[in-house]
Amino acid sequence: MALLDIKGISKIYGSVKALQNIDLAVEQGEWLSIMGPSGSGKTTMMNIIGCMDKPTDGKVILDGIDISAESARNLTAIRRDKIGLIFQQFHLISYLTALENIMVAQYYHSMPDEKEALQALDRVGLLERAKHLPSQLSGGEQQRVCIARALINYPMLVLADEPTGNLDEVNEGIVMDIFRQLHSEGSTVVVVTHDPEVAEEAQRTVILEHGRIARITYNVGRESRKGE
Amino acid sequence: MTKRSMYIKMITSSLIRRRSRMFVALLAVAVGATILSGLVTVYYDIPRQMRQEFRSYGANFILVSASGETISEESAAAALGCIPEDKVVGTAPYRYETVKINEQPFMAAGTELSEARKASPYWFVSGEWPERDGSVLIGQEVADVIKLLPGNSFTMTGTDLAGESFSRDFRVSGIVQTGGTEEAFIFMSLADFASVIGENGAFDVVECSISASQAELETIAARVTEIAEDVAPRLVTRVTRSEGAVLTKLQALVFLVTAVVLLLTMICVATTMMAVVAERRKEIGLKKALGAPDKSIITEFLGEGLLLGCLGGALGSALGFGFAQIIGVNVFSRAVQFPAALAPATLIASVLITGLACLIPVRSATYVDPAIVLRGE
Repeated sequence: MALLDIKGISKIYGSVKALQNIDLAVEQGEWLSIMGPSGSGKTTMMNIIGCMDKPTDGKVILDGIDISAESARNLTAIRRDKIGLIFQQFHLISYLTALENIMVAQYYHSMPDEKEALQALDRVGLLERAKHLPSQLSGGEQQRVCIARALINYPMLVLADEPTGNLDEVNEGIVMDIFRQLHSEGSTVVVVTHDPEVAEEAQRTVILEHGRIARITYNVGRESRKGE
Repeated sequence: MTKRSMYIKMITSSLIRRRSRMFVALLAVAVGATILSGLVTVYYDIPRQMRQEFRSYGANFILVSASGETISEESAAAALGCIPEDKVVGTAPYRYETVKINEQPFMAAGTELSEARKASPYWFVSGEWPERDGSVLIGQEVADVIKLLPGNSFTMTGTDLAGESFSRDFRVSGIVQTGGTEEAFIFMSLADFASVIGENGAFDVVECSISASQAELETIAARVTEIAEDVAPRLVTRVTRSEGAVLTKLQALVFLVTAVVLLLTMICVATTMMAVVAERRKEIGLKKALGAPDKSIITEFLGEGLLLGCLGGALGSALGFGFAQIIGVNVFSRAVQFPAALAPATLIASVLITGLACLIPVRSATYVDPAIVLRGE
């Protein structure tokens, strides 16, 4: 059974159809990219997968739970337990250090563990920056803290929204290395991006246009072939 | 690190590292607590302060004879023993007798002049208070009739208790102006009075100035009636009633001002917290995205608010005492007493008011939709 199974979902805001009859399955351990131009429905899709929004129609099954039918309170709990979110703007809490920002995720999930949080920082190469505030970190470093925070509770699904959108080439490379490592360790990763190079790193790229899946591309390394 | 220590870390970091933002809220709470603490101190100290002020208006408690005759010295002493020493401002026993100066009749009053001075501090004396035998104070009316000035001498004549005529020279030490009946009297020491009129071991009246509320005076009066049956205690109602009325009005005013200040503090804190919640919508959205339930969001913001209330309350308690002292020194010209229980009471009141003020802003924090506030640009 797929970790994430999207069955005919639509999302309608008034007269705007943000998503129309989307079917998509993501297997455990898969790395999937979602691409598309502005207004194609990428963000709506990410919000629905990330349990921050509900579809107007259709079902979204995550780890066997129909998250399209759950209450807001249950969605919060599912998000906390099963999903790791990575944001384009990093969204670190300005008055907490890098270490504390990671421990916040532990705090809401179960129990803060400083040792484990330090290991997570070490994993993204920022151990020596643990006591720094976000304002004392570069954009790339902030994104790495954001990734460490997303991974600290061992989520089933890592959901990244334009993770390299605000980074320079060097930091983009560092972040993509982390994603590659994550994937090699068996994590399921869904990346929403407009950058074809980032998208090609995934095993599969879903291209959205006008709220519909226009095509799905299967990538083999840098080689790609079109399917379906 | 436990969940509790992480919680404390989060709320203290928010206050310490975002101090410029939270300073406004802290200032609002501290100012409110200062005024609360200061005014409550004044509220409770007003009766004490005002009673001291009212003692400037003369006697508020008078002992007369129950039979309409005189009060014996023993009865007067027994009655005065009923007044707590720490509340006595002055007790002046008086003897009265008609005397003549230049064949014109005047009323002579023998008293303990030092006590009369304490009991009637409103008397305006031109010249000096008598300090030697043979020196007297004369009222302004007397001085006008017989054309006397301080330093002048005059001869007093009359009939003593034994029916014998007397004649003695006295020196005018000072002239009394009160705007009242005192201006028609000649005041002298009890010894001088006895030297011309004679000794009878009794007083006509004892005027007392007591620093006490009307209720306390009534209690003293009841005790005097019990102990000295031949003494009739009387409250000078024009003093005690006006004292009570002024105190009630002053306390009501302070109470009203305190209530208004508390309301304004609450509005100020609520407005500041509203602004804080509005500017931290992304942070709230992020916490929700990380899985924070509404309860956590509420407890974190409420925790910040209550910590602010605590800090502001502590600061306000200390500053409030200073504020009350300034009021005491500038308005009443004497220091106020700080009720010990007021410090914790101010702290608790500040925490409660801040908590109450935070309820609406904190509630609004739970309405933040993470999908909207975290949307990519």
